[in-house]
Amino acid sequence: MAELAVDKHVKYILAVEKNKDSFESVVMDHLRMNGAYWGLTALDLLGKLDSVNVDEVISWILKCQHESGGFSGNIGHDPHILYTLSAVQVLALFNKLDVLDIDKVATCILSCVLLMKLFAHRWLYESIVSSCTSCFAQVSKLDITGLQNEDGSFSGDMWGEVDTRFSYIAICCLSILCCLDKINVEKAVSYILSCKNLDGGFGCTPGGESHAGQIFCCVGALALTGSLHYVDKDLLGWWLCERQVKSGGLNGRPEKLPDVCYSWWVLSSLIMIDRVHWIDKEKLVKFILDCQDVENGGISDRPDDAVDVYHTYFGVAGLSLLNYPGLKAIDPAYALPVDVVNRIFFSG
Amino acid sequence: MDLLNQLETILESDPLIDEVGLIHPSQFITLCKECSESSNSSSDGAFRPANTKFWNRDHKLGISTEILLPVCKAAKSAFMDAMKQYKTHSDLSVNKREDKNMVYGPSSSCQSFESEVMKHSRALLLLSCDLGTAWNARKLVVSKKQQLPMFTDELHLSALVLSYSHKSEQAWSHRRWVIKMIAEKYSNLQQIIAKESELVEKIAERSKMNYRAWNHRCWLVSYMTREQMFYELKKSRDWAGLHVADNSCFHYRRRLMLGISENKQGDDPSYDVENYQVVKEELDLNEALIKRYIGREALWLHRRFLSLCLIRHLMTTTNDISCHSTSMDNEINIFLDKELRLLDSCSTIQDMEFEDFEGQAMYSTMYFLWLIKQIPEFRKTELQEKLKAGNLKNILHKTCPERSFLWDVLEL
Repeated sequence: MAELAVDKHVKYILAVEKNKDSFESVVMDHLRMNGAYWGLTALDLLGKLDSVNVDEVISWILKCQHESGGFSGNIGHDPHILYTLSAVQVLALFNKLDVLDIDKVATCILSCVLLMKLFAHRWLYESIVSSCTSCFAQVSKLDITGLQNEDGSFSGDMWGEVDTRFSYIAICCLSILCCLDKINVEKAVSYILSCKNLDGGFGCTPGGESHAGQIFCCVGALALTGSLHYVDKDLLGWWLCERQVKSGGLNGRPEKLPDVCYSWWVLSSLIMIDRVHWIDKEKLVKFILDCQDVENGGISDRPDDAVDVYHTYFGVAGLSLLNYPGLKAIDPAYALPVDVVNRIFFSG
Repeated sequence: MDLLNQLETILESDPLIDEVGLIHPSQFITLCKECSESSNSSSDGAFRPANTKFWNRDHKLGISTEILLPVCKAAKSAFMDAMKQYKTHSDLSVNKREDKNMVYGPSSSCQSFESEVMKHSRALLLLSCDLGTAWNARKLVVSKKQQLPMFTDELHLSALVLSYSHKSEQAWSHRRWVIKMIAEKYSNLQQIIAKESELVEKIAERSKMNYRAWNHRCWLVSYMTREQMFYELKKSRDWAGLHVADNSCFHYRRRLMLGISENKQGDDPSYDVENYQVVKEELDLNEALIKRYIGREALWLHRRFLSLCLIRHLMTTTNDISCHSTSMDNEINIFLDKELRLLDSCSTIQDMEFEDFEGQAMYSTMYFLWLIKQIPEFRKTELQEKLKAGNLKNILHKTCPERSFLWDVLEL
């Protein structure tokens, strides 16, 4: 069997940043924060995080923070909860969470819910649309306990789209910042459970189709809040193990082709519900290794496709979950190296 | 005229453009030749035939792949500049208003910044469709105006983006935001919901198993009346039959069926009968498709849902009217016997040459096992008897050895 081309992948990840003049990199520019999380976490799992300049990364991240406390995908863009989690995760990787005003980030996550409510009610309307800053200032003055949506859901930003992904992000973020007590966990959990389907899987919103990525978010959020007992593990494990196709790869939904990124979404979910022995791990390792570009580094979605940093991260993270030798262990719920998670919770 | 300007002028002069695509420079020459041959009208001739960057005809817009990068960069920086000016200006006007307690009224310079933001964000989104900041800018401007035509324009732009980028999450999300805004102001949504549903179907036709598109359609269900749900169920029936691998379409039908069964007004028993009928009909359709299209996973997963619904329905009816319980019991038995016969006919591998038959055998076995897992406890003993006769364990080992551990999970 082929081996993991560690050095090639490190080289590839470090080079991605430098290639800034292709059409692809221009249209991906707004989600650079996610890219930073994928690339840097992969580097850390490969044991090479020391090959990047920490100060450069941190100062760029802080430039992406808005007055509201939330982060944008790059300098000059609007903040969104999707990028806020990536920023917090990268800061955790570098043991730099102390640069954050934690209350501010937490308030921002809580405000995502509140803002929509205010918006709907039209009071504060003017200040919301014309000056978010002043609105956030007013929000933070309010008592923030009990400010969740009635149904316990979370919005991604002030424009109100609701998705179980955002529930996971809010819970994961607040948990890393050790202030999960600021939200109504019970309601958040009950919203997630309302997105459960008869097949045991979860969708974006109640009644949405089961999807391995959404399942990871829901199971992760339930794990982080100690609520996994609400899940029928055999039923969900059944759906998840049926994602493994003949080649050994995993797909994200029935009838779809396998894709390396689901090595993460499906596998981490199976681990969290203790059903990982229901799939053939050896075949999956082989599938991931077959997706490497052994010459130039990087991992693609399927064998012989073009590589990208997203799939490189999920390939490496999947192998880490499969205990591939030489890789750091990764936490299936926080999506961060285990030593980083331990540092957050078990050191002064 | 610079490229961005050209693009924006085209978009302004032809507001009915309903499709955008990228064209390779070599295709341009052929297209332009075809144009000059087929028509001599000079109405939209300004950008042809000399123009090899943009192609605009019959409300279709083609953009040369050659200029993608420079035009995208130009649009982005123009948009960012416009947005900065717009924000500075509206911050100023807010302060002024607070100071002097003035009545709100947009100044003319504010309007010109607004139109710049709208113009550049539109061009930019056609080239970089997932740029949330640009969609947000439009939401900001549109929500200040609260005018129905502006909301409709947003739906049009989003559809235009979706015409070539079927999976753009931001474009789908923008639609939902617009619809929610309209719903708040104008009560009659039925027409919009119907149009949205048609749009999803059109896009689903071109982009198979598109999660975002079908998710949008599922979202619409919460705004539908019972009649509309029935209509949608009927309308998507043929489509489902022609796209038997598209799990998303079957999920949409599941969503509709659940919507119908949850939509009860009072204790009208005719609703129960109707709901039961819907599930029965879907089971029949599903069986016909399973027999016609061998080895399709989505069809078998759909059957899991349908069977469970039917059994649950029979159970609750049994509990409600105890005097009829024997007849309901009987009905469950009849149903399970029928399913066993289906399993029997599907689990024999008729032709080793084709993988489809292997798939059919595997999916049918897994279907039945799943049903055992989900069936309420007290029915299990009799089911086990049936299984012994049906020799399911052997079939399982033969058709899907990698899943035979599930037998032990079920503790049979």
